[in-house]
Amino acid sequence: MRRDLVDPIRFAPILVMAIVFLLVAMAFFVSIGKPPVRTLLDMVLFAAGDAYSLSETLVKTAPILLCALATIVPARLGLVSVGAEGQLFVGAIFGTAVVLAFPNTPAAILLPSMLLAGMIGGALWGFIPGILRGRLDANETIVTLLLNYVGVLLVNALVFGPWKDPRNLGWPATVSFPLAATLSGFFGTRAHLGLVFGILAAIGFGVLFAISRWGRELAVLKGNAKVGQMIGLSFGRQAMLVMSLGGALGGLAGICEVAAIQGRLQPGISVGYGLTGFLVAWLSGHNPVVAIVVSVLIGGLIAAGDSLQLYAKVPAASAIILQGLLFATALAVGGLAQRWKAARG
Amino acid sequence: MLGSWIAAALRSATPLLVVMVGETLTQRTGVINLGIEGEMLMGACCGFAAAVITGNPLLGLLAGAAAGAALSTVHAGLVLGARANQISCGLAVWMIGLGLTSYFGRTYVGGQVSPILPIGAYLPNAPAFVRGALDQITATAPFAIVLAIAAGVWLYRTRTGLNWRTVGESAEVARALGIRPTWVRFQSIVLGGLLAGLGGAILSVDYTQTWAQDITKGKGLVAVGLVIVARWNPYLAIPVALLFGLSETSVLKLQAGGMAISPSLLATLPYLFAIGVVVFAQAQGRRNAAMPADLTAIFRTR
Repeated sequence: MRRDLVDPIRFAPILVMAIVFLLVAMAFFVSIGKPPVRTLLDMVLFAAGDAYSLSETLVKTAPILLCALATIVPARLGLVSVGAEGQLFVGAIFGTAVVLAFPNTPAAILLPSMLLAGMIGGALWGFIPGILRGRLDANETIVTLLLNYVGVLLVNALVFGPWKDPRNLGWPATVSFPLAATLSGFFGTRAHLGLVFGILAAIGFGVLFAISRWGRELAVLKGNAKVGQMIGLSFGRQAMLVMSLGGALGGLAGICEVAAIQGRLQPGISVGYGLTGFLVAWLSGHNPVVAIVVSVLIGGLIAAGDSLQLYAKVPAASAIILQGLLFATALAVGGLAQRWKAARG
Repeated sequence: MLGSWIAAALRSATPLLVVMVGETLTQRTGVINLGIEGEMLMGACCGFAAAVITGNPLLGLLAGAAAGAALSTVHAGLVLGARANQISCGLAVWMIGLGLTSYFGRTYVGGQVSPILPIGAYLPNAPAFVRGALDQITATAPFAIVLAIAAGVWLYRTRTGLNWRTVGESAEVARALGIRPTWVRFQSIVLGGLLAGLGGAILSVDYTQTWAQDITKGKGLVAVGLVIVARWNPYLAIPVALLFGLSETSVLKLQAGGMAISPSLLATLPYLFAIGVVVFAQAQGRRNAAMPADLTAIFRTR
């Protein structure tokens, strides 16, 4: 299990994977009546054709990278968390609560406390499945999947209820964030600090996993929990820790989306970034630094999907289909490469 | 009053029970399929579309079952053909199902189906004390219960059922007995997909009589969790599904009763209930005894 993460066989078939995916994607475009090559080229242009497109790609990269890390950190202990989506929403709630409670605080205090609160909220949403796994041995995959729906509903409950700004004329959203609580974009684009947080976190965790004692402890426990317990490591405690740390990153993704892109808390702050993050985590072999590159690529796919919707009238759902097809292609090619390698000994 | 609650719980539990029976059989052969969320969506969408086009709700249910089975072959191909990680494959299948139904289902939002008539309509002379219940439920509800019982009898009392259980406990032992584990698992995945699609179609064509994007809202994932609670036993799936249906019904009744609680907050209750029973069932530590042994390798990640 651990071996296949670092095995070069995972990286060798990437070319095959890319070619197969392009063919599958073109087949999909044909099936919806779009010119395949033209649409594909359009997507590349929409993702990276000019400075604006590139900046929009980076806008999508930020939450995807943070959500991927929210999956990767627990995965280093062998936990399969699919809870980034819920952590994103709960992080958004906690961060927004700070802004709504102290709207007149100067930015130097408000911004950091808002971000910290977002991380605490996400961490809490990760801690719950973490303690359930660590203490009661409850399957974290099921619990995180179901908690996602609860997180989304909690945001709805707040913005349709007590947090709704009556001046919105029925639109379910909070008041707009004050300037002091806004993450402004770089160089006049919408690309924001969330991307920097994601890259720093990816590098930080990459280094920790590679050289720290803690990274080795996780690897030992993942490889064999019994051996880990015998040398005095606690699986339960580490489960709570990695789930909370991952959750904090998911929560950060949420509050950054609210403070930088939406400008207020409302439903639909995420377009499935949590599940996309899981895909990225898997594609990057649970390597945080590789996840940076993969996040940019998938961010481009989603940004291009947005533009296709705008200019070529291709519904946004096509981006979800393409992600699913990419995931299936990668699983198929990766799995078959593994089998062939095993068969050749 | 009580009868109407039970009938409402049964109605709400019916799609879930059908999906659970399918996933139980799949997991019994040692394969977990989170993709039933996507297969359920395919069933709900295609079933609804077929019911709108043909005007026949039964054809809708059949089309839904076929659509779910079709999507499940993707899971089968990835899991059995490429031997890829089952959890990841399930999520990929879910993404594909969610994307396809969001894409192609757009035109059917707001569509009208002719409903399946309640059982009461066929039994005009039914006694008064069952009248209320019979007017609420359709034939899909007793069908789901019979299906669960039939699955149990088949699994525990027949030769092929024994073969399936053997594959789930040990593919190697099964192979030694001349059973082809991969073929059995292929059948169980497609059967699970068929029932997930049927459950989805019952949800859209019969229960809600609407189609909306992501209409299942995690019901397929709930089913995967509740299969653990029911200890991979089709008979136990009946009370477990009913309990979940009761939690959903209570939410609806509380809303209708004018509770001054946010409907979104109330809507979290069925999810919290599902999480609660999954945690309780696993904390009991029984799962190791009941869980198909070949499944533990996939489910337990440490």
